[in-house]
Amino acid sequence: MVEEKRKLIDENGLRTDGRRWDELRPIKIEVGILHNADGSAYIEWGKNKIVGAVYGPKEMHPKHMLLAERAVLKCRYHMAPFSVDERKNPAPSRREIEISKVIREAIQPALILEDYPRTAIQIYVEVLQSDGGSRVAGITAAALALADAGINMRDLVVGCAVGKVDGKIVLDLNDTEDKEGSGDMPFAFMPNLNAVTLLQLDGLFTPDEFKQALEMAEGGARKVYELQKDALMRKYFAGSTLETTAEEVGE
Amino acid sequence: MSARKSYVVETLRRAQLIELLSKGKRLDGRALDQTRKIEIQTGLIEKANGSAMVSLGNTQVIAGVKVDKGTPFPDTPDKGLLVVGAEVLPLAASYVEAGPPDESAIELARVVDRGVRESEMIDLGTLVIKEGKFVYAVFVDVNILNVDGNLFDATSYAVVSALLTAQMPRFVLEGDAVKNTGERVPVPVSKVPVSLTMASISNSLIIDPTAEEEAVMDARITLTTDDEGHICAGQKGEAGSLTTGQILTAAEWAVAKGKEIRTVIKGATGRA
Amino acid sequence: MPEIVRKQVIPGELIVSGDYRPGSFVERRGNDLIALRIGLAEIIRSDVKVIPLSGSYLPRVEDQVVGKVVNTTGYGWEIDINSCFLGYLPAQFVFGRDFSPGTHDLNSRFRVGDMLLAKIEACDRTRDPQLSIRGPGLGKIPRGELVRISPTKVPRLIGKKGYMIKMIGNLTHCDIRVGQNGLVVLAGPPEGLVKAVSAVELIEQEAHMADLTQKVERFLSGGTAGVESAGNTGDSGGPSTSPSPEPSPGPGPSSNAPSGE
Repeated sequence: MVEEKRKLIDENGLRTDGRRWDELRPIKIEVGILHNADGSAYIEWGKNKIVGAVYGPKEMHPKHMLLAERAVLKCRYHMAPFSVDERKNPAPSRREIEISKVIREAIQPALILEDYPRTAIQIYVEVLQSDGGSRVAGITAAALALADAGINMRDLVVGCAVGKVDGKIVLDLNDTEDKEGSGDMPFAFMPNLNAVTLLQLDGLFTPDEFKQALEMAEGGARKVYELQKDALMRKYFAGSTLETTAEEVGE
Repeated sequence: MSARKSYVVETLRRAQLIELLSKGKRLDGRALDQTRKIEIQTGLIEKANGSAMVSLGNTQVIAGVKVDKGTPFPDTPDKGLLVVGAEVLPLAASYVEAGPPDESAIELARVVDRGVRESEMIDLGTLVIKEGKFVYAVFVDVNILNVDGNLFDATSYAVVSALLTAQMPRFVLEGDAVKNTGERVPVPVSKVPVSLTMASISNSLIIDPTAEEEAVMDARITLTTDDEGHICAGQKGEAGSLTTGQILTAAEWAVAKGKEIRTVIKGATGRA
Repeated sequence: MPEIVRKQVIPGELIVSGDYRPGSFVERRGNDLIALRIGLAEIIRSDVKVIPLSGSYLPRVEDQVVGKVVNTTGYGWEIDINSCFLGYLPAQFVFGRDFSPGTHDLNSRFRVGDMLLAKIEACDRTRDPQLSIRGPGLGKIPRGELVRISPTKVPRLIGKKGYMIKMIGNLTHCDIRVGQNGLVVLAGPPEGLVKAVSAVELIEQEAHMADLTQKVERFLSGGTAGVESAGNTGDSGGPSTSPSPEPSPGPGPSSNAPSGE
């Protein structure tokens, strides 16, 4: 049965939320928003509202699963029941479990786990409101939470998704575009190392479209990286100079 | 795992706390009958029908309301559904493990639920679409983001604030089916129940315990009052005991402080 | 005095390129020296290091730490030192070489819940850190209130040559013991104690601000009149704080200094 699909980009080139094809949604980031967690960050990306939190390095339980040469990295991506249009059962779904794995594998390359043998590092990504691209927003927040927790990192990790809508490659799909469009590609990388750590795809992309999408995703992610840096600077260096930072660390 | 059993309390800390208590003071400088600062923000989750984030000192929780059509329970065909759930997220404290709610989380959800239900904050009789077949189902889910004691009151204030500011779809009967008219109407709320939780430590009674105070408390009591000053729900918790004198003081405080906190909640939810 | 070049850095950021030696929390990638943590990068001559601004406590040998006894095993005590690694104090270090579980009762010295001021004697990647209480002022801390701060803020709490910690102790008449692991134990008269705790928390929150020392001084000086006249509150044994930059307790002339039990 052929469904009449509505146009997602109008005759002026504007998308369902008024953006152009290469525009990111508005993003706000705060680091260190939870009192108990060792590290945390909160991100609003479009309508996404996501908390990233880290506990660790900490004692590993169960003990028989610890590793002698490095930390065990664990990750839990979870959506609040009120985070989506239809109330979601709080128990973890298969989708959440897969995304938990994919996020963990996107972040692991950035962490120097060998510096923390016989311990565990636990990442939480809690989605309070979801609107397309929650996993890349979650990765972006989790990387900041890890830096905030003081885990040794080779680089930050930052993500951005692109997709195909009305035959056009567009940056940063919202929920409607994700559901009604014809392609979705979440992407994440380590920006200074130029190493891609997350790539997923569903839809139909020609090789040219794929190349275009990849470049666009990287460009978008680099812009988000600037926002990550800014969020860290605001928490750690705002109101301070090099001299006061030096005093702060006891020099 | 509950907060109390999760870590060994330093004997020093307990001694200091009790010494301060005997002089009517607490570790954070509060008086025995003083609550921490209550901060309430509503409407943050647009996809939810209603939402509220509450901070009680460092304890932080977020509640979301989702309203949909549902089928009534067989023994109450003329009442809508109200389901209150609570989850202490594993990110809220280092000792919390992911998994199905433990007995503490279940107690929390049920006590908060009773506070709302018994006060008749929502008249469930007005939430029927077709008796015995279709009713409104109001789900309130609370996620605890940071634990620093007194999850009961923080959760309760969040649930109440979210319900006070919630807008739900309007359903009508069309033949045998239920239709969403596309309108938004406020959830029919008529009262503002306020809970107050107190802990007894070594014969002193304190309001709004922190995680540290909970770790050394003998017993805990939560009392919920309504707008008329009636006590509509109560729960004593933990393995110690309370004297009747303490319970009566608790009831006095629940009514008096409840009134003050009701003003705060009403102010924050535009119902002042 | 060699010139020090400083830079505020985040993980993955380039500090400098060239012929430099990578120190703590710095990695060399080709010609570049890269920071691995949020902190202050320092280039002194040809050495590059980063002093982190965040992070939990990782035990180092010789560090003085405040720990809590959380368990007794057959041959020693397990100590929570606010780290992912549990500290261990061997019974032999306390009872001597002729210790045996049959003849000595661990609980007679330290029980679960007791606080200790200890030293990290040994620690490596293959086992949990070993503690000792051999040394001046080490051992059980008999009384006080426990405050936890980020270990990265400990230098600020102590201050240059101990200035900050001494000031707090003097103005609040409190005895303060600081562990490198971010645990601080304060004891003293109730009004002074509440102020001292607030001062410690203020320092943790505003460690990066320039006028912090004056701010703390103003906060403690306002309203300490009551504390100064409280000559009858002798339970803490008098005002004494760490006189040296190291976080060792300064047992004053009349304080109950914990002996090396």
